[in-house]
Amino acid sequence: MAEVVLNQVVKTYGNVYAVNHVSLTVADGEFVALVGPSGCGKTTTLNLIAGLIEMSGGDIHIGDRLVNDLDPKDRDIAMVFQNYALYPNKTVFKNLAFPLQMRKLSKSDIEAKVLSAAKVLDITHLLERKPRELSGGQQQRVALGRALVRDPRVFLMDEPLSNLDAKLRVQMRTELKRFHQDLQATVVYVTHDQLEAVTMADKMAVMNGGFLQQYDSPKNVFDNPVNMFVASFVGSPAMSLVPLEVVTHGTDVALRSPEGWQLPLSAANARKALTSTTAKVVLGARHSTVKLHTTQTPGTVPGVIYTVEPTGDITFVQVFLGASVVIVSLDPSVIVEPDQKVWIEFDQDKIHLFDGATEMALAAA
Amino acid sequence: MTIDVAHQGGAMPAPRLRRKPNVFQRIVRHWNDYTYIAPALLVMLLVIAFPIYYTIELSFFKTPANLSMDKKIFVGLDNYWAILTSRSFWDVTYNTLIWTVFSTFFAFVLGLGAALALNREFLGRGILRALLLIPYVISAVAASYVWKWLYHSDFGVIGALSVQFGFTDRPINFLDNIYTALPAIIVVNIWKEFSFAMIMLLAGLQTVPDQLLRAAQVDGANAWQRFWHITMPHLKGVSMVTILLLVVTNLNSFIIPWIMTGGGPAGATDIWITQIYQMAFGRIRFGMASAYSVILFIVMMLLGYFYVKALTRGDEAKVG
Repeated sequence: MAEVVLNQVVKTYGNVYAVNHVSLTVADGEFVALVGPSGCGKTTTLNLIAGLIEMSGGDIHIGDRLVNDLDPKDRDIAMVFQNYALYPNKTVFKNLAFPLQMRKLSKSDIEAKVLSAAKVLDITHLLERKPRELSGGQQQRVALGRALVRDPRVFLMDEPLSNLDAKLRVQMRTELKRFHQDLQATVVYVTHDQLEAVTMADKMAVMNGGFLQQYDSPKNVFDNPVNMFVASFVGSPAMSLVPLEVVTHGTDVALRSPEGWQLPLSAANARKALTSTTAKVVLGARHSTVKLHTTQTPGTVPGVIYTVEPTGDITFVQVFLGASVVIVSLDPSVIVEPDQKVWIEFDQDKIHLFDGATEMALAAA
Repeated sequence: MTIDVAHQGGAMPAPRLRRKPNVFQRIVRHWNDYTYIAPALLVMLLVIAFPIYYTIELSFFKTPANLSMDKKIFVGLDNYWAILTSRSFWDVTYNTLIWTVFSTFFAFVLGLGAALALNREFLGRGILRALLLIPYVISAVAASYVWKWLYHSDFGVIGALSVQFGFTDRPINFLDNIYTALPAIIVVNIWKEFSFAMIMLLAGLQTVPDQLLRAAQVDGANAWQRFWHITMPHLKGVSMVTILLLVVTNLNSFIIPWIMTGGGPAGATDIWITQIYQMAFGRIRFGMASAYSVILFIVMMLLGYFYVKALTRGDEAKVG
């Protein structure tokens, strides 16, 4: 196993930056998820690490080697693809043996390695079958096995679970996590599903528009998103974002809505708000930190319920504060109705403030 | 396929318990299906079934040269016997096999090469693809005349060039030499057919999943190994169909040999169909020509049967 270092990696197509000066370090044995919406550059980044496409600039190190000009086969990586990419005309055994054959290992070595990989993944009974005779989960396991036999320095995985049905996806997620723990493998994992990233990865790299937005542990990304994009991308349901305006009354600082209500800020939040480049500030709050009142109480702001979504153990309520929506989670025992007038209370210790112009998180000066 | 409306949806019927209806019952039950296909069936009977029947019938008769068929004489299997024991039949069969095997092989290989080249991205690919399609879309008759002139011993470009570059002292007499005539027209046939193979294989190539090639690349396969392990297996189906179509077309070839050499010199380029044409419309021996046709018909049906069987063998094993 080895660490992977990306240094100012760039990939352009004409004038378009698919990957824009991305730098990150994947430590030895770490599970890193590249996550972001479609077209954010995450798969391109993975293909650059694999060497399947040529870089336009920057350096990539795998272990102690600079791999910029190495072919994929010489980078000592293994890749698991979204559609499994099993060779349809070969049996499972031959699929697993293929990367070893290409490396001209002896027949007995190949057999020993294939059998041991098959044993690890519990696919020994499938070795004589063709890929099309396998279920989705089994194919997934074979694809993993083909990566495993190589004993590579890095595993690259390109949305390996997105073709599975919801139930199997959760199951394979657990297996993949276990697989990583057992092997202490270095894994770079691409997904558009932030939940997969949060549940499996040691670190997640959130990408958007070719830029690396934030690279940190899932907990830190969740707790301290660096900007509005990360805040709204990570977490389900997404963080509620309410655009407001900073107003000062002497030493007191408050946020004023277009509708006219004002939310006084705590001293810490006031310092943050005053660092905004303009008077525009966006307030961010996760559903679990917001309280709902059915009667007016001090420190609350007024809103109207839009929808009520019971999910069983939690009921999500969408509340319109003027033009923006705030999501609140409630205990199912609380009964509220759409169009009901309610009051929202934000937890001053847990709200996020973003610069309305730059969309970056505001920190106390 | 017929859709049995009564059995759509609802509870599962118990078809296994019911005795399988006989052919007549099934026809009666689906009589309206048959009325739909009846017009097409009638036309097919008229233009396919009747000619086949009439050819088979004529093959047992000696037909008069003035074509008054009411005076034809029944001769049993004499026509067949005469053909199969004649030396010319085996000479012609030999020519036909040479013609078919070489044409098919080289048309396929060249077509594959062209398809692989065109499957890559490069400047001018669209123009090249259009150019390489010309042999296929051009009329075979026109092409044959053009090639006849290219090969011409006095005015042909090929002969002139070979002299100019010093390959030969004087222009080669391609089409009037019993050793060069057949290879010469095979070259024309390959030129005409390779673009067909190219189109078929190019279509096949475009369905090779990119991810498989990438996976193989990561697994350490070089370009040749990727071609051999991924691309070729993927092209198996379309290759088999292409080869079958080429073989059938080549066994049935007529235009190129007929226009370029007429089967000559001294029968060196005579193949089955030119021979049958000659027999029927040159020597006006319809009975003989019919018997010849029936033999070919049987040969080709057998060939097709075994080919299709070999083609589908793998699939049946998996279903059963």
